[in-house]
Amino acid sequence: MLYFEDVELGDEIGPLETEATDAGVLEFCEVWANRTPNRFTDQAIAEQSNLPGPIVPGIMSMGMMARLLTDWAGAESLKDLDVVFRQPVPHHKPITIAATVTDTRQEDGENVVECDIMMTGAEGERYVGGKAIIALPSKP
Amino acid sequence: MATELDYDRSLHGIEHEAGPFEVTESQIQAFSRGIAETNPIYTDAAAAKSQGFQNIVAPPTFCTIMVHRVELPDINLKFGGKPTGGGMHAGQRVQSRAPIMAGDKLTASSHLKDVYPKTGRTGTMVFIVWETTFRNQDGMVVADVQESFIRRG
Repeated sequence: MLYFEDVELGDEIGPLETEATDAGVLEFCEVWANRTPNRFTDQAIAEQSNLPGPIVPGIMSMGMMARLLTDWAGAESLKDLDVVFRQPVPHHKPITIAATVTDTRQEDGENVVECDIMMTGAEGERYVGGKAIIALPSKP
Repeated sequence: MATELDYDRSLHGIEHEAGPFEVTESQIQAFSRGIAETNPIYTDAAAAKSQGFQNIVAPPTFCTIMVHRVELPDINLKFGGKPTGGGMHAGQRVQSRAPIMAGDKLTASSHLKDVYPKTGRTGTMVFIVWETTFRNQDGMVVADVQESFIRRG
């Protein structure tokens, strides 16, 4: 269990190393009810959109970023995740997700931790960046 | 001086309602597999119940898959008098307000939140931001989701 008192400004969260597979993206599109084939699942359709190959849906990347934070702080701790999709994320390529604590404060009776979060590629690509707000309990 | 944007301003203040959308255990499990979630409250009903939840819990950004089921109108943005094409997904924000669980029936209420221009190295872009509030069957707000799209002239 992570407590507010355990967290300090500048603390690093992660990294989480992962990758998205064709099968994983296809299943994600199905539950999302996004009709396939599409630019997330099909090489030719991706090329028509000037992409080198099928990409990972932005909201799937966002879900993986949320996982880093809930793995660290616990389920139901993540209050706000705000991300910007900077570059297309390819399938079957190493993805690294990491975050840094940028502020800790008490606000409206809640212990708030703010962090910057980034999803990057093996060549330093900055795929998705954002900010998150996490609420944590105090030590008993 | 700020550029005067040409789009359908009558859309401001209109709420577009959709749903109810039933949240199922299999949807939550498939979403969790997609993001390689390992926390058992997001993958297993018994584990979620043992931690005090009524049912398997949806991961915090689960609502993002429900947003595009809301039919939103074209804002008829014109750039230099010319209509613009499809938008690129620029960003997304999820503010979680309460747990979402299997068996919930969610309704969505969406409105046009903001339309603004930004000028960068590659020219002027217009950001279009929609905000959707999800409520459960008890009328409780469970999440607010913002989606932004970029259009270029």
